[in-house]
Amino acid sequence: MAQSIAIEIKGLTKFYRNFQALKEISFEVKEGEFFGFLGPNGAGKTTTISIITGLANYNSGMVRVFGYDVVREYRKARALIGLVPQEFNFDPFLTAEQILIYEAGYFGVPKREARLRADELLKQFDLEPYRKLDFRKLSGGLKRRLLITRALMHRPKILIVDEPTAGLDLELRYRLWDFFKKTNEEGVTIFLTTHYIEEAEKLCNRIGVIHQGSMIEVDDKERLMKRMSQNMIEIQLDRQLDTVPQELSGYGVELANGGNTILMREENQQLSKLLRSIHAHGIEVLNVHVKKTTLEEVFFRLTQGKP
Amino acid sequence: MRSLIGFRSLVEREVIRFTSVFLQTIFPPLVTSFLYISIFGFTIGQKIESVDGIPYLNFLIPGLIMMYVIEGSYSNTSSSLFISRWARHIEEILVSPLSYVEMVLAILIGGLARSLVTATGVYLVSLIFVHTTPQHPFIMLIMAVFVSLSFSSVGAIVALFAEEFEHLTIWTTFVITPLVFFGGVFHSVKMLPHALQVITSFNPIFYMVNGMRYGMLGVSDVSIGQCLIVVFCFFICLFSFTVFLFKTGFKLRK
Repeated sequence: MAQSIAIEIKGLTKFYRNFQALKEISFEVKEGEFFGFLGPNGAGKTTTISIITGLANYNSGMVRVFGYDVVREYRKARALIGLVPQEFNFDPFLTAEQILIYEAGYFGVPKREARLRADELLKQFDLEPYRKLDFRKLSGGLKRRLLITRALMHRPKILIVDEPTAGLDLELRYRLWDFFKKTNEEGVTIFLTTHYIEEAEKLCNRIGVIHQGSMIEVDDKERLMKRMSQNMIEIQLDRQLDTVPQELSGYGVELANGGNTILMREENQQLSKLLRSIHAHGIEVLNVHVKKTTLEEVFFRLTQGKP
Repeated sequence: MRSLIGFRSLVEREVIRFTSVFLQTIFPPLVTSFLYISIFGFTIGQKIESVDGIPYLNFLIPGLIMMYVIEGSYSNTSSSLFISRWARHIEEILVSPLSYVEMVLAILIGGLARSLVTATGVYLVSLIFVHTTPQHPFIMLIMAVFVSLSFSSVGAIVALFAEEFEHLTIWTTFVITPLVFFGGVFHSVKMLPHALQVITSFNPIFYMVNGMRYGMLGVSDVSIGQCLIVVFCFFICLFSFTVFLFKTGFKLRK
């Protein structure tokens, strides 16, 4: 069966007075994907999310969620989305449990069903002991979990998550990663923005990079990393060299770590020849290590130097 | 059906909001109405001749009820919507599949519920001093409902335009309270000089107070038909404008 399109954005433009926040961006997120939407601060990530979910207007372009236009068919589009915003936006008059039940209610979930769903999710996120507390009395980590729980109350087809683990300790971050992975495996499309590139690297199967309001890259994560990869082979030597010996200069290598290490790009594919040449030069090799390019490096390369 | 669940949930939340702080929302009008009735109606009113053949105490009560309907509905929606903008939980509603008409109507019904509770309370307080049997209870109800929905809309509109909390009270102090006091809560328009009578005829609250007075006592400075037309037109204009603001996302969407 063909994968349907969960989010379709074409030529989306958004101005805040004279400032152009989005410059005709276009991309798609397919159903079932775990899509990482990356970009530096102020790149346009939250603006894009706000437009998809109905929290911001746009100037031109088109945005559809599972085929429904977010303006003309906003009710159908919004019913399919669960939003985990970056900032806490709870009703201060309600308890944690009431927040969940009313949220489900706004999405048309009957009260009895909402109570069962709240029980299930409060347990899953270890929020059970806090269900009768006002949200103001919860710690930052608990509030963050409550945000995620709330977004899941109406069983959305797509979960839009804006910086979900910002400010969380490592243990909780890893737990949320497991949870997002599991939710995605259950068929929920996930659209994630994050500052932690490691988070996107671990979780996402497709990546979009936005910079200064323009989409500069959208690709499958593996393909993107392969394409942008600059994996390096690190050869640790038994001595310190001042310069690259002339016999080795043809391999395009360079020295690192004060002359203890020779670096060569993996794509040169001349490792065995290089090792033989090093040996012939009377130098012993202590260790050989391949340093893989991280998504962080790819991201940095993509956004650095862009106008 | 699912849509009605959403609408009902929002209405319920709006009602819970004001009932959970009933000491701030329901009790004060009961206390101040007791003071108004006892001082103006019962004590001073005994020194005033009847108005249109109605004892002043009886004349005062429908006006007071309407005053609290207006105040309660305006306060409820203005504070509810402004706080939800300020604390950003309005976003919970904006990302939901509720239609804009449902969003607005549910918020207005919160104001309606509060003002009906208050109006009933003020009527019960008045029974301590005088027993007044409503002449046209259905008219009273219609007037209370549509005036309340209108001023709930005013509250919502002001809450959307307001940048600070004090903007809400500025409207109460400089617009609503003067219009209420000049709208005939404490006096008949016939007591005023001709020029002021003409000016009063442009005050919509004058028709609201008189509509309520007609429903309760069967007397009014203007015909009940005129009162109903003004109130319906007022409601339709304000409700449509509030829905328009929600639809366009004025101060709601970035």
